[in-house]
Formats: sequence, structure tokens, C-alpha cells
Amino acid sequence: MASVAIGSGEQYNYDIVRKFTIMALIWGAVGMLVGVFIASELAWPFLNFDIPYITFGRLRPVHTGAVIFGFGGSALFATSYYIVQRTCQARLISNGMASFTFWGWQAIIVLAALGDVMGYSQGREYAEMEWPVDLLIAVVWVTYAIVYIGTIMKRKEPHIYVANWFYLSFILATALLHIFNNLAIPVSLTKSYPLFAGAQDAMTQWWYGHNAVGFFLTAAFLGMMYYFVPKQAGRPIYSYRLSIVHFWALIFMYMWAGSHHLHWTAIPDWTSTLAATFSIMLLMPSWGGMINGIMTMSGAWDKLRTDPIMRFLIVALSFYGMSTFEGPMMSLKDVNALSHYTDWTIGHVHSGALGWVAMISFGAIYHMLPRLWDTKMHSAKLINVHFWLATIGTLLYITAMWISGIMQGLMWRAYDDYGNLQYSFAESVAAMHPYYAMRALGGAVFLTGMLLMLYNCFMTIRQAKSMPAGGLAASAA
Amino acid sequence: MSQGNSQSSKVQTTGHVWDGDLQELNNPLPAWWLWAFYATIIFSVVYWVAYPAWPLGKGFTTGIATITYKNDKGVEKTTHWSTRALLMKDLQDAREKQKPYFDKVAATPYEQISKDPELSNFVASAGKVLFSDNCAACHQSGGQGKMAFAPNLTDDDWIYGGTHDKIQASIANGRHGIMPAKGGADLNEGEIESLANYVLSLSGEPMDAAKAKAGDELFHGKATCLACHGADGKGNKDIGSANLTDKIWLWADVPAQDSADKKVAVVKAVITSGLNKGVMPAWNSRLSADQIKLLTVYVHDVLGGGSNK
Repeated sequence: MASVAIGSGEQYNYDIVRKFTIMALIWGAVGMLVGVFIASELAWPFLNFDIPYITFGRLRPVHTGAVIFGFGGSALFATSYYIVQRTCQARLISNGMASFTFWGWQAIIVLAALGDVMGYSQGREYAEMEWPVDLLIAVVWVTYAIVYIGTIMKRKEPHIYVANWFYLSFILATALLHIFNNLAIPVSLTKSYPLFAGAQDAMTQWWYGHNAVGFFLTAAFLGMMYYFVPKQAGRPIYSYRLSIVHFWALIFMYMWAGSHHLHWTAIPDWTSTLAATFSIMLLMPSWGGMINGIMTMSGAWDKLRTDPIMRFLIVALSFYGMSTFEGPMMSLKDVNALSHYTDWTIGHVHSGALGWVAMISFGAIYHMLPRLWDTKMHSAKLINVHFWLATIGTLLYITAMWISGIMQGLMWRAYDDYGNLQYSFAESVAAMHPYYAMRALGGAVFLTGMLLMLYNCFMTIRQAKSMPAGGLAASAA
Repeated sequence: MSQGNSQSSKVQTTGHVWDGDLQELNNPLPAWWLWAFYATIIFSVVYWVAYPAWPLGKGFTTGIATITYKNDKGVEKTTHWSTRALLMKDLQDAREKQKPYFDKVAATPYEQISKDPELSNFVASAGKVLFSDNCAACHQSGGQGKMAFAPNLTDDDWIYGGTHDKIQASIANGRHGIMPAKGGADLNEGEIESLANYVLSLSGEPMDAAKAKAGDELFHGKATCLACHGADGKGNKDIGSANLTDKIWLWADVPAQDSADKKVAVVKAVITSGLNKGVMPAWNSRLSADQIKLLTVYVHDVLGGGSNK
């Protein structure tokens, strides 16, 4: 790699960006493969093969860990290191510390997956890792914060670019959430008990769970959006003022909304009401990012016809807008009474995860990859095929889950003329089967696109390495 | 493209440039966005006025919405909106809707219930819920049972009797079936093998006739099987000993075995180790007498396996 991009390589630390980009691609493929497998297990349970290690309960956190923290996390590390250096005109403050965040983060993903499969789990959704891994996460994350903030502090630009605000809020909030949600008393190397109990523990968990969505999967990816959309479109950001107002409104509102994950449970009613209203007030701050992204395109709409990367970015923003509308609706108590515990929730999460998080990351990686390796993408045509597979896969997935989820909710609350429940739970399970098969198919289509991307990126890197030093340096933007 | 350019070029940028070409226009906040944001805030304030919303020391703002309900003792209460009061109200509605039917079930003799079309419709509806919530976990959703776990309730074979009264007793008080182990000190390996062949011969399964003959003597002699299963092997419903002469098996999965040797082996296993896992819990502490009566009729008449003798 020493031979690549001599000029920019000395100015910026691209080596760390390249490493995280490669791991984002690999974890994406692995995590989505596990996702398709567990979706198939739900449709065809014989796929358990009676092996405890590969049952749905153990592989599900492997899937969420690999896609959120492996794929999403690595993509965020890669893009944040890329963006902070380029928009600050400053090299990362320490190669060693950056390298530590890479190896530490990869170790965390592997340890978390091993723990899930072997049955070492705190039983906290998206925070399954036991306390030794939690400590490692804390150390890696603080190192990340030091590298990131240190680089911003030695910037050569007078102002901090908007994308960096979003990444900063994500880094600070994730540290806060992670530490408070994992306060626990260890009793052995692999077992601990949470500090809080009962409803307080549940509320701590969902304060974490919801803001993991808010800061990890929303604010941070908005940071990604604020760099790659204007870059790829070659247009200025639509409104500086909107970016400020929606940023502060977003990070203020998000922190209050976690309890909407616990509607109709043993939490106090007033917490439910507050969570519902702050979720409603979150709608427009969330949409501010979508408006700013889509309006940035105005004047460059023709690029959608020719540029598949631009398509990824714009479709990602559309799914973002849709799921940030759907979320506040589902947080209303009456809607939640229908949607809670059903597949509708799974559909909602995946319209955000596949439609927004994955698509914006695909667009960002396709933009960065040729610049990182100083070459051109191996095949522009494959990017386009990937775009359509990703879009069709997402639509199949969320449509299946909407139908299945609303049907479940309606079946569970259906009463007959005598005031008795009309369906047993087992009948609702049987009714879901065709939609589970459809969801597995949607996931498989999406995974196929991811594998095409992996191939395309692999070929691009291989062709870059076979070229003489500084090959395309002149033409790279 | 040229149109878009001329439009947006009227707006100034903030004057900063990052990474070569990144700039920000200074467009105002979109008016519709701002007004929609205000609208969500107004909506929230209305929500706060109506429902419990803000913590105040040890209490909270209760909101102006109220719920009136009668609790299960018939006492009327009015409280601020709460999820618990909402549940009590739902339970009250269901209770009031179902009470006339439950009263009628309680007052009607077993045999008459299925002759009343409206009452049998109610039993089918309420019984399905009670059965799904309480019984289906072991006896499966249609009552078809599970081999080596819980008996089939839809066939004519009843271990403790299939009349209304017997079924009612089974549900209310539970059952615990025990068969003593015959392995070890009581019988040797060859004797158990002979017994197993005899037991299989009772229901016409393939077996070794010579061994079965030896087993016949043990069954009626040293092994004392006849004490519970009867001299004819037809069992005794009063103590819940199984009828060994029919083709219905619960603990030894004979029908699933594809060879005589395997059939002998599964029967041997039961004789050797005995049984102490046929436990059905008593439901009289969890269900009301009316609910148990209704479930009895459901099992007897709706699932259709009940007998009258």
C-alpha cells in the first residue's frame, strides 16, 4: 500500500480509512448472510438442525452485531476518518491510536459474536456483550474520541464542517449511552448483573437502544450524508441554517424518546406520554436532514440518470424520510397498541437499516474507494445492478413485514361476538409463514447486491495494486 | 440544470469552502418545515394536557382525561387516564358481555349444554381461548397430544375416563400417573424382554411368540403387572393404568418404530425404568369452577373425544 497515492497519502492517513472500508464490506456480507439465514430459520424451522449454536436466539444478536457494529460501525470509522481529515486539512493526530481503534473494534465484533453463539450474553438488545468486552469498547471509543477531537482541534480550516458536528455528537452520545447502559456488577469473567433493576433497568436499556438508533444509525449517517451528497452532486448544501436548527433539535429531542419502546408495559404512564410526544416533535428535526440532502440535488437532478452512486444517496434519503415518519407514528400509544411486538417493528427497523443506513454507506464507499486506491471502480455497471438489487430487496422485505405485522396485530386483538379472542397465538404464527418466506427472499436479493459490491470492490483494489505507482494520481479528484 | 443553477445562484453561500469544493448556501428555513415543527409542538402540548405527562417531585401531572370502570368486586371507580384503568375497563366489558353465558353454563347440566345451539357456540368460542391459554402447551393446539408427553384428547381412549365428571375431575385436581420400575432387583434383562414381547402381543404387534408366552406367565405372576393393568391387560380407569390391548400408545413410541426389535426395545425401556412423568397440574387454583366446567364441555363435546360411560 505504500506505493499508492503518494501525494495524498502523506498529507492524510488513508491507510486506516482503507482498512475500515475493507472490513465494512466484509462485515456487511457476513452480517447480511447471517440475517438471510435466520430469516430462513423463521420460515423453515428445520434449518436449526437441532444445533443449539445456530438457533435463531443465538444468531440473531450475531446478525445485529455484525451489521450494526461491524458493517455500520466500520463504515462510520472509515468515513469519519476520511471526512475529518479532508475537511480539516489535517492528518489524524496519531497513527498508533487510529490503528488501535481498528484492531480493537474488530476484536470487539469477533468477541461479541463468539459470546452470542456460546451463550454469554447480558440479554440486553444491541448490548449483549459481557463486561470485559464492554470495557474494551469503552477504551476503544475514548481513543476514537481523542483521535477525532484532536484532529479537529488542529484543523487548518477556520470553521468546522457540518458533517463533523454530526460525527462529534455520535461519538459523545455513544460513549455516554454505552457506559450508563452497561453499568453492572461482575460476578465472574463471563457473568455480571445490571446495576438497575426492573422498570428502571428496562428504561435504561431502551434509553440506550433508542439513542443507539438516534446517534449511531441516524446522526452519524447524517454526517456521512452531509459530506458525500454535496461531493457527489458537486453542489453546495441547500441551507446552512436548516443544518444548524435541525442538528440541535435532533440531538435534543432524541434523548427523551426511548420509553416509546416500552409503551403498554410496567413503566409509569407519564414516561410513555413524554416519549410519545418527543417522538412526534422529532419528526421535523429528522426530516431537516432529508430536506437538506434532497434540496442539495436541485440543479443536478440529471445526475440521477447517469450516476448510480447518486441514486444510492437519494434513495437512502427517501427511505430515511419514510422511516422517520413511520417511527413517530408508531410511537403514538394507540398505533403502538397495534404495532408493538409485531413484525411491523422489524419492517420499520429494516426500512431504516437497509433503505437508509446500508444504502448511504454503499454510496459513500463507492465514492471513496477509487479515491482511496487512486483508481477507477472496476465496473460502473455492477454498481447499477447493485442499486436495483438493494432497492428491490428492501421493498420486498419491508412490504412482507408490513403485511405480516399488521395482520399479526389485528389477529391478536380480534374478538368474536362473545367477547372472546378469535385466534390463538399459534394460528397467527401459521398465518405469517408466506410473509416470512417473502422476507427471506427480499433479504437474499439484498445480500446478492452486497456480494456483487464485495466482488466489484475486490477487483477495483486488485487492479489498483497491479498498476505502477501514482498510476491515476493525476486524474483522481 | 441551467435553470436550477440560475435559481440557486441568487442565494449567497456562507463564504466558507472545505475540501476544495464543499460549500453551504444560506437559504432560510423552509416555511412549511418550520410550521410543521410548530404543529408537532402544539400537538404535544395538547397530549400533555390530556394525559399523565410531566413528573413533579413524587407525583406527576395527571391530565384531564378520565376513565370510569367497575373493578371485579363491582365497585365503581373514576381515575385519571392510566393504562391500568384502561385494562380494568376492558376486563369489565368482557366480563359483562360473557357473564350471562357463563351463568347459563353453570346452571345447565352437562348433557343439555351441547343441545343448546347458542350455548354450544359460546363454549366453542370461550373454550378455544381457555384451552389455547392453559392446555395447548402440553396437549397441543387441537388437543391431539404429543407422544411420550401428553395424551391425545380427541380419540376415544381415556386413561382416567372420558365422561364429563371424570374429565372435570382431571382438570380440577390434576393427575399424576406412576408406574413402578421393574428393572434391577425385580426382574432380569431376559424377563423384561419376555414381558415386552407379551405386551406387544396384546395389541397384535409383531413379536417373538415363545418369549411372549414366557412374558404371559410373568405378567400374571412374578411381575405383578395384572394388579394395575388387569388380567386381560385392559387397564383400570379408576387408577389410570393404561389399556395395553389397543393400538394407542402414549409413553412407548411403538408406532414410530420400523422393526420388531425396536418396538421391543421401546417397551422394555418403559418396563425397566417405570414412569413418573405423567403429571397434569391441578387447575382449580387457577381457573374458576365455571371456567373448568366450560373447559370440560369443550374437551368432551367440541374436541369430540368424550364418552358417556
